Parts: sequence; C-alpha cells; structure tokens
Amino acid sequence: METSARKRSITVGLFVIIGLIIFIVGILTIGSMKKVFSSTISVKTIFDDVNGLKVGNNVWYSGVKIGTVKTIRFQGNSKVEVILHIEEKSQEFVRKNAKAKVSTDGLIGNKIIVIYGGTQKVPSIEDGDELVVEKIESTEEMLAVLSENNKNLLGITSAFKTISKNILEGKGTVGMLLSDDRLYNDVDQTLAALKKASANAQVMTASLSGFTSKLNQPGGLANDFATDTVIMRDIRGTIGRLNETVATANVMVANLKSASEDLNSNRTSPLGVLLHDEATATNLKGTLQNLESSTEKLDENMVALRSNFLFRRYFKKKDKEQAKQPVKEEVKAETKDSVSQ
Amino acid sequence: MSDNQKEKVYTKGLDSALLAVYNGYVFFLRFFREAFRGRMELQELIKQCYAIGNKSLLLIGLTGFITGMVFTKQSRPSLAEFGAVSWLPSLVAIAIVRALAALVTALISAGKVGSSIGAELGSMRVTEQIDAMEVSAVNPFKFLVVTRVLASTITIPILMFYCTAVALLGAYLNVTLNEGTSFISFFENAFEQITFLDVGTSLAKAVAYGFTIGIVGCYQGYNASKGTEGVGKAANSAVVISMFLIFIEEVIIVQVSNYFRI
Repeated sequence: METSARKRSITVGLFVIIGLIIFIVGILTIGSMKKVFSSTISVKTIFDDVNGLKVGNNVWYSGVKIGTVKTIRFQGNSKVEVILHIEEKSQEFVRKNAKAKVSTDGLIGNKIIVIYGGTQKVPSIEDGDELVVEKIESTEEMLAVLSENNKNLLGITSAFKTISKNILEGKGTVGMLLSDDRLYNDVDQTLAALKKASANAQVMTASLSGFTSKLNQPGGLANDFATDTVIMRDIRGTIGRLNETVATANVMVANLKSASEDLNSNRTSPLGVLLHDEATATNLKGTLQNLESSTEKLDENMVALRSNFLFRRYFKKKDKEQAKQPVKEEVKAETKDSVSQ
Repeated sequence: MSDNQKEKVYTKGLDSALLAVYNGYVFFLRFFREAFRGRMELQELIKQCYAIGNKSLLLIGLTGFITGMVFTKQSRPSLAEFGAVSWLPSLVAIAIVRALAALVTALISAGKVGSSIGAELGSMRVTEQIDAMEVSAVNPFKFLVVTRVLASTITIPILMFYCTAVALLGAYLNVTLNEGTSFISFFENAFEQITFLDVGTSLAKAVAYGFTIGIVGCYQGYNASKGTEGVGKAANSAVVISMFLIFIEEVIIVQVSNYFRI
C-alpha cells in the first residue's frame, strides 16, 4: 500500500515537473523572441504617423531583428513618440545618423520599424539617442501610385494594340516589311550584297594578313625600319642635317630677299642705278660700244707696231724664247724620271 | 391548472434556481475557509492529482494532437487562397496558445474529471459514507472536496501545457508533411506572434477552468440526493454546468485580456 502510494507520488511529481518544464521552455522561447532577457538600450524616434504600429513589434536593421517597440505615446501636436529597445550587442552597428521608418513584415504582415543607412565615420548610437525619421508612403498613397501605373499600363497596351493592328494591315515600315514582297526582295538583295561584301572583306583581310606577314619578314625595308636601330639613327642624323641645310637655305633666301629689297628700294646705289636708271644704262651702253671700237683700233695699232722697224727686233726675240721654253720642260721631266728610277 | 397554481410552479422553479446559486456561493466560500484551515490532506491530494492529471494525460494528449493537426489542415485552404501558407505556423500557434489548448483541455476534463467527481461524491452521499465520515470526526469537506478542487486546479493547467506542446507538434507534423518546413523554422514562426500576455491569459483560463470543474463536480456530488438517480443526475449536472461556466469564463477572461492588449 505504501509502495503504491510512493509510486503514485513519484508519477505525479514527474507529471508536474515535465509540465512545468514545457511551460518554462515556452516562456524562455517567447522571451528570447521578444528579446526580453537580453540587455538593451533605449532609442527614441518621433513619427507623424505610425500606421498601426504596436508595442512589441519588431525593430529590424539590415533585415535582422535587433529589438522591439517598447512605448508608443503622443507628443506635442499630432506627433507620436516611439521608444525602441535595441539589444546592446547590435548597438555598435547602428550609427547615430541612421534613419528609421515604419514598414511591414511582408505584404500583409505586422508593422515593423526598419532602421537603415548610417555612415561608418559617425559614432554608434547610445542610450537615449534620437533617430531621424523618414516619412513613408501609406497604403493609400501606394494604391494611388499603383492606380496611376495601371492607367499608364492601359495606355501602353492600347498603343501596342494600335501598332499591332497597323502592322497586320501593312501600314508603316514594319507593316510593309511584313506584307510587301518588293521590300522583302530588296532586303533580300541587300543581304546578298552584304554577304558578297563580307566575302570580299574576308579576302581583303587575308591579303592584308599576307602583306603584314611579309612586312614582318627579317631583311625587308619595313622590318628594318621597325627593328634595325642603326638605320633609324642614320635616318635621324640625315634628317638633322637636312634640317640644318634647310635652315641655312632659309637664311640665304632671306639674305637674297633683303638684298633684292635693298636693290629695289635703294636706287642711288651703283647696282640700283644700273638696274633702274635707263639714262645711265644708255650711257653705259655707249661707253661699251666706244670701248669695243677703241679695242679694235688698238689691235690694228699693235699690228702696225709689230711691223715697225723700231719694235720688230723685240718681237722676234720674244718668239724665239717662247719656242725654247717647251724643250726645257721636257728635259726637266726626263731628268726627274731617271733620278726616281 | 389554474393561474394561481401556475404561479406557484414558476415560483418554485425560480426559488430552487436562486437557492442553488446561494448554496453554490456558500459551498464556494466554505471551500476557501476549509482550504486554509487545518492540515492539508497531502496524500489524498496526490492521489487526486494522479487520478485527474496522470489518468487524463493520454486522452488530453491524443485530443490535443488531433486538434493541432486538424486545425492546421482546415486552416491551410483559407490561407492558400491569398498565398499566405507561410503564416500557418503563426496562425495555428496563436489559436492553440490563446484558446484551443485551454478550451480542449477544460472540455475533455469536464467530461472525464467533472463527471467522475460528481458520480463519486454523489454515490458517497447517497450511500451515507460522507455522513459516516462526519460521525467519525473526519472533516469530509476538507478530505473530499478541498483535495479534489485543488487537484483539478493544479493539474488542469499542467494538462494544458502538455496539450499545447502536443497540439503544436501535431500542427508541425502536418505543416512539415505538406510544406516541408523545418522544425526550427516552424517554431520560430509559431512563437514569433505569441506574447507573454497570451501565455498568462491561457494560464489564468486553465486555472479558472480547473477550479470550476472541481468545484462544480464536488458541489453536485456533495449535494446529491434521491438515491442512484441522484448520482447520475449529479454526474450529468457536473458536466453540463461546468462546461457552461467554462464558456462564460472564456468570454470574461478574453474581454479582460483584450483590455490589457493594446
């Protein structure tokens, strides 16, 4: 009897303990979900409209749950102050310039606070900080935009309908392309020509390839130009000298130009007078004519003088000396040859 | 039947109803008076806990499992209509934790435990065993009523914990067979929407239901009369009245909990 009672007591004890364990596990699970047992910091945000946000809703940062909504209360004129509890281990990742907005967990899910943005240069948020709030579009505003989009979509589909109708009726370029055989033939011919052109281009490319391979052969002019550094140095030297010659020629031409300009401008100089003064030229011509006639007369006089008995002897003597002069030179040459031998 | 006689009958019915309420009230007060006075009949309490709790565990567990599974199965098409099948774990968890587990446990217990207590105490009353206890200087109220009411008040919340766990298990089984959801994912989703208020409300309900089942069963059995017919009537009344009161309490507790829910 006593053993039975004892056994029953143990069974009841086990029944109660297991039941309580289930209860405690449930409580702990809910607590960990709601971040009840983790240490948190309080952050304040002030919204114009919280769109049905409730205490206990989640706070997300980059898609990760980092806290919950702790308090929602009115503040001032139609403003709502929301106190968020953010777990300390996530505190370092949220920056002071991060923004907050009310969003939805999925399309029809619960309202959540989404924290986003923030730059690395700015320090992390601290207990009591206030996050900047971004106004989001309400469901009605979203639906209004959707309605507008629907209208636009309707317009686009109507336009497409008209276009497809025109195409079917053979109107417009595309319609004609589809329905007109001539246009098709033209396009076909063009394509054939293009095909031929591409074949030619292929042949040309092959020729070019052969040509370039020849250019690359060692010993060729182009290859030497490309590879022989001595030739290039010589060419550079030649070009340098050519440049110098051209510079000298330029100077000479400039001098000539200046001289001609001087001749043109200075008509009093002897050359200027010769070039430009016709009277002087006439005089000079006359003088030259006189000189010519004088020279002829002087020749006649000299011939006459040779025949004169007074000077005849002198001229004969001179002729004799001239006749002797080649014999002396031959003897000198022979002597020189014998000495050298 | 004259009008005078009709009036008499109606008055008698009303009188007996009001008298039952008054007697119930007195019984209720006596329970608290006896519960906190004198030595607790611990062995009897453990025995009753065993009879109410352990003996009902299999039935409650099985019912909870089936409830979780069937509720999940029935809810799926509605959610699938607008592509929200992924919300099934949350929906089922909310339904089980907030209402189904406590209600199923209470209704099954009302049928099994309430009728058992009513019949047992009723038979003891009609066979004058209770009177014999009084004669032998044993307080029958403390020994029979207080232990049974306390046992049902303690064990029915614990049965509800079991029922919740098993119902969620049934729901998980159905979800994982259809959607292939993992165990962790299911329970993450399930507990996501449950709050401490839900658990607290559910616990308060289970305590209230347990107390109601115990006190109604004991009252009906303790005040049974008219022989064996009275035993059957006591058992029947215990089930009917406790179930009725359970639904009344459900409404009141939900209203109060919604007041705290913002």
